[in-house]
Amino acid sequence: MSESYMGFEEEEFASSMSGRVLVRILKQLRPHWKWVVGFLVAVGAVSALDAFFTYLSKQIIDAAIVPRNLEELIPIATAYMVALGFLIVGVCIFIYLCGVLGHRVQYDMRRAMFDHLQELSLSYYSKTPVGWIMSRLTSDTERIADLVTWGMLDITWATMNICTALVFMFLINWQLALVVLLLVPVLIRVAIWFEARILREYRETRRVNSKITGTYNENITGVRVVKALGREQRNLDEFGVLTDKYYHASFKAAWLSALFLPVVQLISAIAIGSVIFFGGVQVESGTMTIGGIQAFVGYITFMLWPIQDLARVFASMQHAIASAERVFSLSDAKPDVVDKPGVEDPGTIKGDIVFDHVDFGYDQEKAVFKDLNLTVKAGETIALVGPTGAGKSTIVNLICRFYEPTGGRILIDGKDYTDMPMRAIQSRVGMVLQTPHLFSGKIRDNIRYGKLDATDEEIEAASKLAGAHDFIAVLPNSYDEEVGEGGNLLSTGQKQLISLARAVLANPEVFIMDEATSSVDTLTEALIQRGMEELMEGRTSFIIAHRLSTIRRADRILVIEDGGISEQGSHSELMKKRGHYYSLYTKQFRREAEKAYGLDDLVGRIETPEEESIVA
Amino acid sequence: MSELNYLELRAKIVANRTSGLWTLMAGFHFKYLAAMIFLTSGAIAKTSSFLLLAYFVDEVLGQGGQIIGAIALIALSFIVLALIEGAFTFLSGRFAAQTAEGVTRRLRNFMFDHLQRLSFTFHDKSQTGDLIQRVTSDISAIQRFYSEQVIEFGRVILLFSVNFVALLTINVELALVTVIVVPIIAVISLFFFRRVSKAYDAYQEADAKLSTVLQENLSGVRVVKAFARQPYESDKFEAANFGRYSKGTKLTQMHAIYWPFTDVLASVQMLVGYVVGAIMAINGQITLGDYLAYVGMVVWIIHPMRGLGRIIVNASTGLVSFDRIAELVKEDQEPLTEGVYQPETPLKGEVAFDHVSFEYEEGVPVLHDITFNVKPGQVVALLGSTGSGKTTLVSLLPRFYDYTGGHIMLDGVELTDYTREYLRRNIGIVEQEPFLFSRSIRENIAYGVDRNVTEEEVIAAAKAAAVHDVILSFPEGYNTVVGERGVTLSGGQKQRVVIARTILKNPRILLLDDATSSVDTETEAEIRSALENLMEARTTFVIAHRIQTVMIADLILVLDKGRIVQRGTHDELMEQAGIYRQIYDVQARIEDELEKEVSGV
Repeated sequence: MSESYMGFEEEEFASSMSGRVLVRILKQLRPHWKWVVGFLVAVGAVSALDAFFTYLSKQIIDAAIVPRNLEELIPIATAYMVALGFLIVGVCIFIYLCGVLGHRVQYDMRRAMFDHLQELSLSYYSKTPVGWIMSRLTSDTERIADLVTWGMLDITWATMNICTALVFMFLINWQLALVVLLLVPVLIRVAIWFEARILREYRETRRVNSKITGTYNENITGVRVVKALGREQRNLDEFGVLTDKYYHASFKAAWLSALFLPVVQLISAIAIGSVIFFGGVQVESGTMTIGGIQAFVGYITFMLWPIQDLARVFASMQHAIASAERVFSLSDAKPDVVDKPGVEDPGTIKGDIVFDHVDFGYDQEKAVFKDLNLTVKAGETIALVGPTGAGKSTIVNLICRFYEPTGGRILIDGKDYTDMPMRAIQSRVGMVLQTPHLFSGKIRDNIRYGKLDATDEEIEAASKLAGAHDFIAVLPNSYDEEVGEGGNLLSTGQKQLISLARAVLANPEVFIMDEATSSVDTLTEALIQRGMEELMEGRTSFIIAHRLSTIRRADRILVIEDGGISEQGSHSELMKKRGHYYSLYTKQFRREAEKAYGLDDLVGRIETPEEESIVA
Repeated sequence: MSELNYLELRAKIVANRTSGLWTLMAGFHFKYLAAMIFLTSGAIAKTSSFLLLAYFVDEVLGQGGQIIGAIALIALSFIVLALIEGAFTFLSGRFAAQTAEGVTRRLRNFMFDHLQRLSFTFHDKSQTGDLIQRVTSDISAIQRFYSEQVIEFGRVILLFSVNFVALLTINVELALVTVIVVPIIAVISLFFFRRVSKAYDAYQEADAKLSTVLQENLSGVRVVKAFARQPYESDKFEAANFGRYSKGTKLTQMHAIYWPFTDVLASVQMLVGYVVGAIMAINGQITLGDYLAYVGMVVWIIHPMRGLGRIIVNASTGLVSFDRIAELVKEDQEPLTEGVYQPETPLKGEVAFDHVSFEYEEGVPVLHDITFNVKPGQVVALLGSTGSGKTTLVSLLPRFYDYTGGHIMLDGVELTDYTREYLRRNIGIVEQEPFLFSRSIRENIAYGVDRNVTEEEVIAAAKAAAVHDVILSFPEGYNTVVGERGVTLSGGQKQRVVIARTILKNPRILLLDDATSSVDTETEAEIRSALENLMEARTTFVIAHRIQTVMIADLILVLDKGRIVQRGTHDELMEQAGIYRQIYDVQARIEDELEKEVSGV
């Protein structure tokens, strides 16, 4: 919800108007330049026609009413109708072009960013919160699109209004027009003065508002503690300080805005007053008409509209530039892991995997592994055990080539795996995560994710092998049951069975599984075990193991601790050593036995699952 | 804000919408009324300037003679009228803003307090996200209702009325001709904006769908990569992206039709008015000045009407937000200070349960017939499966829930005679999942006491909770901020900060949910010693999850399905057959099996 990640705090406004960023924003429009020209021309025409209407209005007075000439009304009304026809077309065109272009620009930017995101390496995701990326693709693209469409339209309209109004005024009476011209810079100065102050208060309200939301959030999530500690009154007092701040900032912004309009109007009234005075005198001497005075009054109002709007346009421009800076930082991010040019897909992987003096660390200062050596023969089942954060997941990440070693090599079937395309490795690795990720949609579609062209029969067969079929079959809609967002309508065990079926269907050449630590009921547990066996059969498999049965079944157990493999061997070999493995094993033995005897139920113990981050 | 009684406000909000919206404005009624009056005055000033123009043309110009002085006077009057109009506009905006902001602040504070005083039962069943949504965006919608929608609506109506009345004084026929399309525009506008708000909902839905696809892709990045499904994902995103695009385009098309269409209506109406007016002026039915005034005013009659539908539709969403807030307001608060007994001496901590029963819902009892006695300073351990009623039982003491049968006597007085406030001040709670607030560690430790706390007291509490050294290892020591914006503490560290908080609070009665089950063995010992410091000389209720915890208890209660099935000390319970010995036996058996397993390899 709120983006309060460290180092990812949002700066609402650009620190300064950056020309470079602006140019880059405008480049987004290049493929659609015809549309841009279209709506700019349309809005220009509309503005000119608007000015023309005021002129016609003057003509009614000067040419028809004052000389009492009824016939003169006919050509004027005709001209009005014709101009109206054009105006309508113009309005229709600019709203349509501008609106659709806005959506189009958003669409283009999103697509480009999304495709770019698919290329980025896992390291980018580990450093960047999902919420941050989300905002770039949603609200930021919207703001940028608004700037290049409605923002540009507003600016064009404003300029056109001022220009056409001035042109007509000069045509009617150049002396009076000069008087009005003098006031334009004053108006703009005043507008900018107000704009800066309103913006400052507005920023303050935004800042306080996010604090208010944060306080609400905390007080609601922690309401039990608040009640238990009897903090209600003091919390309300503290909250009152925040709402007071908000009140003052936003009230100030509101009254500044309320003042802005009248001040602009007053300046224009001075202009109108001068026009009436000088114009009135000239009417007496015959150099100015009454219609002319009326037209001047009209044109002055006409120029005012855009100036009143200037503050809003300027603020949204700053917003958009800040957005663009962030969007571009995303598009400029380079993937860490890329294919070398000209690498070829070997077609198949047997599954011999060798770590050859591998060094690795997620960041430069802190190494996870130094000089790691490991040889895995095709078809072998390897269990990885060890404390959280010791590097079990890192080994898996390296095998999948989500990351590459910073030193040494990893060989697959005897060949350095950086000499193969990433796709060749990743499409042949089947993976089941500890907290299985499902996509919203049907169960069927989630299983089909493993092989996009699979038939319904294949899906069912895979589910049977994985042990998922039985529970799916009894669901009201069977394979067409919706799993909910992120699969949250299913239990963890069910999600894991589905992701096993998905992996079975993919028929991988290497299988990787991160066993769940959280509790799964006994029946589901047995099903998962069977599904895993199915997958491990005849494939090189790496299991981040938490269950004793899995560990015992492995061909080889690796104990991963602080930067390397501290022990390895079969279960009985390691037990005899009485080392790290021994203590891990006995601890797990007690845990499982307590569960098996129902001790957990007797004492109401709730297991707290260890949270595993996506790139731990 | 003191002029408003919250109880009364609540009653009014619950009663009905109008009285709620009205009472929320208490103290601002005159300000809001003033805003409306100034709005009217501003409109009148504006219209007057058109009438002044008419006067200028008809009575001053073309009269011959020395009129420069008169012209100057007119010009000056113009500026003065503009000044008046400006002043009124400003005042109207200012008072409206003051009302809206004042009401918002009041509502924010009220809701904040209301939410934290709602009962446990309410919070048990409500969702945080939904509550946050209501107190943020719904309150903002109400703020806009006062500051924008009502005012805008008033502005449209006032501009219309004032200018229409002025027109009527000029010429009744002309005035009537001018307003022919106004009802049509108003109706079309309302119809259109209803449609638009539906199309907008569809657009929002497409937008939400896009977000879901994106969110799932980003959080499932490992799966996407592991199956090398990037092209598939791009297609899926493409579909959602295009869906949003086409819904957006549709919305644009509606606007691209509406605005030009009403432009035509308005412009044709204006042309008809101009022509009719011009003919009247030529025929001498109205003066030239009248015509000029007419041209100025007609704009303010017709154009604002086009936005009327938007204002009405927006205002109705503001009202929906109000209803959503009112729903929350309806919920009952916990009366914190209700109670007849105020003890004069400090609490001793003697607790007696006498045939206590409790049910959350009528007819579904959670506790039956609970009877036991605890002397001050004793330790009671509660053992039992999930749902056996252990947590509910201890929740009765601070009156988080009130028992529905029997008696609980605290120092010989019925528990419900004490105020909740008093009980909670004297009872300390350490929950299984500790909750810290995102402020400094010092503030977190001092969070539970209602007075200024010295640095020494905080440090002493932290030392007793065995967390002092950990705190010093952070770069900013006690000033380190915890939580989202600061340092993340481990489960065990959080637990000890909570213990320090409780030590500083110094309650007479302690409720502990055996905290050690969720942390690893290294910190277990430290937490255990911290807890022992805490339990010193306080009546303590421990929800236990393992035998080691209960062995030191003066009284062990084994609960099953809301009843006490066994009671006694460890030694006594070991003598009886029952759940307690069963648990003990299982633990012993596991050790045996492990022994065998280890020697077997």
